[in-house]
Parts: sequence; structure tokens; C-alpha cells
Amino acid sequence: MTSPTTSSHTSSSSDKLKDSITDSFNYPHSVEDDPNKIWLEKVFRKHYFNSSSEIELDNYVSEHEFGFRLFDGYIRRHLNFKNKRELIASIIKFSPSDIFCSPARYQHPSASMDQKGWIGADLIFDIDGKDLQLDCARIHNMTFCKNCKLIEKEVHTSCSKCNSSMVQIVELPCQNCIRNLKKEVTKLVEVLHDDFGIENNSINIFFSGNNGFHIHVVDESFFNLSSMKRSSLTQYLLGRGYLVDNLGFRIDKSDNITMLPNKIYYNKGWRARLLSRLHLQLKNHRIDDKFMRKITQIKETNKIGISGVINNQIQNISVKIDPNVTIDIHRIFRLAGTINSKSGLVKSRVNNLTTFDPFKESCIREDALVKLDAFVDTKLFFNGTSYKIKTGINNIPEFVAVYIISKGIGDIYIEKLK
Amino acid sequence: MRFGNKDLARYPFLREALSYVTKNEFKIEDLDNSEFYHLVEKAKRKIEDYVFEGKLAYQIDYNKTHEIIVQEEVIIFLISLLLIKSISIDSVTKKFALFESMRFERYLISDLDNSNQDDKTVKLILYKIFEDLFQTKVDLEVDIFNFYKIKISDYLDHPIAFQEREWNLVNRTVDKGYVYLDGSEIVRLFRNELYLLIIDRIKKMNPEVLPDMIISISDSLKSRWEKMYPPLRAPGHQDILPPCIQHIYNQIDKGENLSHPARVLLGTFLIYTNKSMEEMIDLFKRLPDYNEQITRYQLEHLAGKRGNTKQYFVPSCEKIKLNNLCFETVVCKGISNPTQLIYRKSSK
Repeated sequence: MTSPTTSSHTSSSSDKLKDSITDSFNYPHSVEDDPNKIWLEKVFRKHYFNSSSEIELDNYVSEHEFGFRLFDGYIRRHLNFKNKRELIASIIKFSPSDIFCSPARYQHPSASMDQKGWIGADLIFDIDGKDLQLDCARIHNMTFCKNCKLIEKEVHTSCSKCNSSMVQIVELPCQNCIRNLKKEVTKLVEVLHDDFGIENNSINIFFSGNNGFHIHVVDESFFNLSSMKRSSLTQYLLGRGYLVDNLGFRIDKSDNITMLPNKIYYNKGWRARLLSRLHLQLKNHRIDDKFMRKITQIKETNKIGISGVINNQIQNISVKIDPNVTIDIHRIFRLAGTINSKSGLVKSRVNNLTTFDPFKESCIREDALVKLDAFVDTKLFFNGTSYKIKTGINNIPEFVAVYIISKGIGDIYIEKLK
Repeated sequence: MRFGNKDLARYPFLREALSYVTKNEFKIEDLDNSEFYHLVEKAKRKIEDYVFEGKLAYQIDYNKTHEIIVQEEVIIFLISLLLIKSISIDSVTKKFALFESMRFERYLISDLDNSNQDDKTVKLILYKIFEDLFQTKVDLEVDIFNFYKIKISDYLDHPIAFQEREWNLVNRTVDKGYVYLDGSEIVRLFRNELYLLIIDRIKKMNPEVLPDMIISISDSLKSRWEKMYPPLRAPGHQDILPPCIQHIYNQIDKGENLSHPARVLLGTFLIYTNKSMEEMIDLFKRLPDYNEQITRYQLEHLAGKRGNTKQYFVPSCEKIKLNNLCFETVVCKGISNPTQLIYRKSSK
């Protein structure tokens, strides 16, 4: 999944950055000698020309900062458009590889960061497949060696041909990855609603376009939150720094349990979730002997001890968000309804999380047959059809070719003139 | 709706209480008049108890008419702030603010304890304090065990939510957009905020002329303090003092309170550098919330002379970093524990 772009201009991000808006108008289009980029730029332009209505914007277009990453690899930030029409005209003109929009609104969106006049920002969350560290990902992802250009199946820490450690993982999420990501989204929505009191219709869920989900919260009570306050929310979701004392007992280093002074433990939030996972019940929000007996029983019947059991449950309950995305209130974030250049899939709205299938609902519509030179054998499933890709030349629809080229495991095949 | 007079005497920092003296056209210059001597004396004694004895002995004199009780308490509160402002030593200001906020905390606890569920006055005091002084709306959930609730965003306006782990949002009961606090927690939040408010009020005080009486008392209190606590010199190893320890010394010098991990770091470091119990006590004595009995017990515990007789070693740099106590400089290059700096220097 493409990481949303950080606000820092001097960040260690590998993104190349061009600040000046005028630079974008001198854009010479994609690198001339890279047929893949030329072709992708053409397909993206065609997509935006036909499907611009899919781009989702709020009523404050002129107060947002936009960013375009063009096919020359550079990001142009601090762009500002009067309205949706002007933005779309620009998108079709430049056909960016990635389009970003700030969740923040500014008085002067095109000014430099310290002159922008921050008004507020929607609360955003990023759930990335990488952070789930799923077993399946190690098998179905591939490894690309930057040194000898070899592409190998499965995840390796070094290249098996040249032994170089300069390897890059090619993410090819499967249905299991999506299923697990959805579980995280469900956990997040539950906490946002039950604990933070956010109405479900203020919680907007999007497939990120690659290997994750983006959640946008549009709620006045959270719009003005500072970065520090947002950090507190992320700590809450991640369960970082949770004290077991909140459950009414204390565990020392030797795993001994001591009951804390009995008081009312209002059984909500983290406490309720943890106790429910541990199959413990508070009677009338208080700890009783039965509760303590049950705790002791859990301790005695688990090899990892009571601390281990509780820590495992904290891990299970915590929502695997990327906290940096939520905390950065000046970040530009992928615009909903636009293509993610790491996959060629669209960041699309999820109306029904249970039935949502990104390999169906996030594909671009362009489906003319094209020739593609694949580097590896692979099997892909799009729009209900299975595509067996063989190493070498394949005849496939544009939307499949866009995916393979974006993943770097194939080239567009252009027949040379005789 | 108004408070009763007696309630205002216990909360003299409220705007409504202040109006009791302003309506009588009280001026600071009046404090040189003999009719105020007994109030100046009472304020002086209160400060002495707080900053030199570490005692909370102050008593409100209720044997007067309600009107006079409130007026006197407000004036004593103002005199105390003036004296502290005039002394103008950070450590004194912070120690005073801590004790004064603890005093008001006691009143609030007793008011809450003595009230029943329907006692509107007490609830009104709480709401008023939070809304007027801390711009926070507090609601009482009668149906949920009399818990108080504060909107998440308002709760996060309070510095304590970031300062202490048990007060971090993750360790609070959060439901439907609100943070739930029981009676003792709301009072603790109140004390912490009031402490900051008192410091702020002292800082913002800017009287054109201070009465002679105030100047003379503050001068004598100041010289007594300076004699008791001469400027802090880090013991022994100044040239090799680890930056994290130096930072703690600077905090003590400024009269700031130390977090529990900072106290453990300082205590274990002092024990490692062979400081005597009395030398260590002398240092901890400067902390605003110093309590000799507790300090002595904890230092003995760290030294392995109590409890399980295990001596605690100085925490590692990694642990120090985790507790936000690391202030790394070039001298720290290559070390994993602050004690290595001492070892490095002494082995040269």
C-alpha cells in the first residue's frame, strides 16, 4: 500500500518532491524512454476522463491542499483548486500516478506549511497489510532484487542469485490478507463508535487501493484536535501503555496477583473488552471472590502466566493502525476515487465491509486487450475471472496489465516496427 | 444560583468569592493598615508551614459572620499570592501551589463525602470550578454510580492526561465519547489543575506597588529559604555527571516535582555513587511534595535494606529513554547505562 505522504519536506521518505506549482506546468509528461510509464499515464488519463465522477470530495475543495505525484516520480505539493471542476481538469491534463488531498483545511492551502493557517483536520486512520505480519504474505508476496533485477516467489531477506540484501518486497495481497484487514477495520469502527462516541455515518471506510484500508472520520468534535490529542487516541487504539491495574488487581514481576482496593470498576471500554476476552465477569461493576478465583485459575492453567495471557489479549484487541498517519495533521492522504500507482487499483469507498471485494470493486474499468511481458508465472483473480499469467507474452485486459506493471512484475509489450 | 458564603470561604480562588472583597473596595495598599495585620500574619504562617515544614496545618476560622469569613479567606489567599510573588523563587512558588491545591482538594473531598446524591450545592461547586477555571464541562451520571464524565477532547486539554501513565486516555474508562471519573479521580484532576492555576495567577500578578509589610515579610522568608536551600550543586562528579542526572538536578533546582521513574533513577544513582542517607535526604527535601518518612523508606528499599533486600541498580539508558528521562549528549556515546560515564572517567 502506498504510504500516505508525510508533511515533512525533509523527511527520509524516498519520495522526490517539487514544491513549486509552476514546476508541474512544465511537466514534460512521463519519462520518454520508459514505455511502462508512458502507457500507464495514458491509461490513467483515459480512466480519469471516463470516471472522474468517482472522485470523492467534500464541500471545501478550495480549503484543501492537494498533491500530485506525476510519472516523473516527483510529488508536487501545496496545490490548490477553486472547485472540483478545476481539480478534475488538472487531473486529466497531468494524469498523475497518485493524487493526494489533505484531511486538513487551511486558510491558505497553497502557502508554505507555516503560512497555511490550519483550520482543522478530519481524523484519519491507516490500516496497512504490512503491519499485520500474516503468514500467508510471506508465501504469496514476491522479492525483487534491486541489484540483479531477479524476481523470486516468496519473501526473502537477500537475493538467491547475487546474494544482495538490496531486496524489495512485492506485495500481492490475497483474500486472506483482505479478510484480516477487514477484521482490523471492524475493531476500529467498534472502538470509534462505542468508546469515542462517533456516529457510524461519520465513519467513512475506503479500500486504500493496494493492501490496506483508510478510515476517514468526519466529526466536528474531533476536527480541531491537536496532534498530541490525536496521539492519545492512537495510543488508546493500540493499547500502548495499558495498566493491568485497571482490571482491579496487580501482577508483580513473579506473576503474583494482588487484589487492589475494591471500588466500582465501570465495565466499559478497554476493561470490558479485556475482561470479556478473559471470560471474566464483574458483578455489578465490582470485583468479588469468584472473580479472583477465576483469575487465579487462568494463571495456574496457562504456561505463559497471567501477564502473558493478558498481554496476548491486549495484542488481540488492539487495532493495528499506523499511528503516524493519524498524528500528522498536515499530511496529504490519497484522495478517494483515485488510482493507487502501486497496484493500479482505485481507493474506493466500502459500503458493505463484509461483502466488499477489492479485486472486483476497485478495478479500473479499462478492459481492452493488451500484450504484456510477464517476468514470473502468477495467478490473479479479478472481476470474478481467474488470470493465469505465464512468464513471457500474455494477452490480458488493461486493468490486469495495469496491476502487473504497477507491481513491477511485467512490462507492457510494444511490438517493434519492422 | 449562588453558593452559600461558607462554601466560598473554602474556595477563595473563585470569581464569585473575589467579588466579596472587591465590592468593599479593598486595595492592596490597605494591607499596611493595622486592621489587616492578623490576616497578613495568618498568610505568613501558612506559607511557613507549607514551604519550611511541609505541613498542611491551615484552619479557616469559622467563629465569625459568614460575610467576614469569606472576606478574610479571600484576602488571606491574595496576601499569600502577593508574598509568593514577592519572594520570586520558582521552588517556593511550586511548593506553595502544591500545598495550597492540596488544601482545596481536602475541602472538596470532605464536601463530596458529606454530600448526598442530591446535594446540588456541592455539584454546583464542582461544575463551577471546572467551567469557570478550567473551561471544562463536567456532567454527573447519577444513574452510573455517580461517575463524573468529561468529553474526550476536554479531558485531553488537561496536562495530567499526558504526564502520568495512569491518567493516559488508554488507562481511563472511555465510553460514548466521554471519559468517566469517580469522585476521587475528579478531585485529583481538580488538584492538578488548581496547582497549575495558582502558579499561573502568581506569575500574572503585577502589582504596581507592594505594601512595605509584604516586602519585609517576603524578604525574611526569602533569606530563610536561601539559607536552608543554597543553590544546588551536583555532588562530586560534576564533570562526569550524566546528562539525565544533570537534568533531574535542574528540575529540582527549579522546584519541579519529579515523576516516579525520575526519583528511582536519582535514588539508584546516588546510592551507586556512595552518598549517605542524609546527603540523599537533603536533596529530596527540595521536592515540593517531600515526605521524610516515605523518602527514607523508598531510598532504603532501593538500597536493598528493606523488603526483599534486593538492591536496585541504576536503570539502563534504554529504560531511561522509555521514561522520557534521557537527555543524551556527545558524552553518552557508546554507553548503555549512565554509571558507565563515572566508570569511564575514574578509570582514566
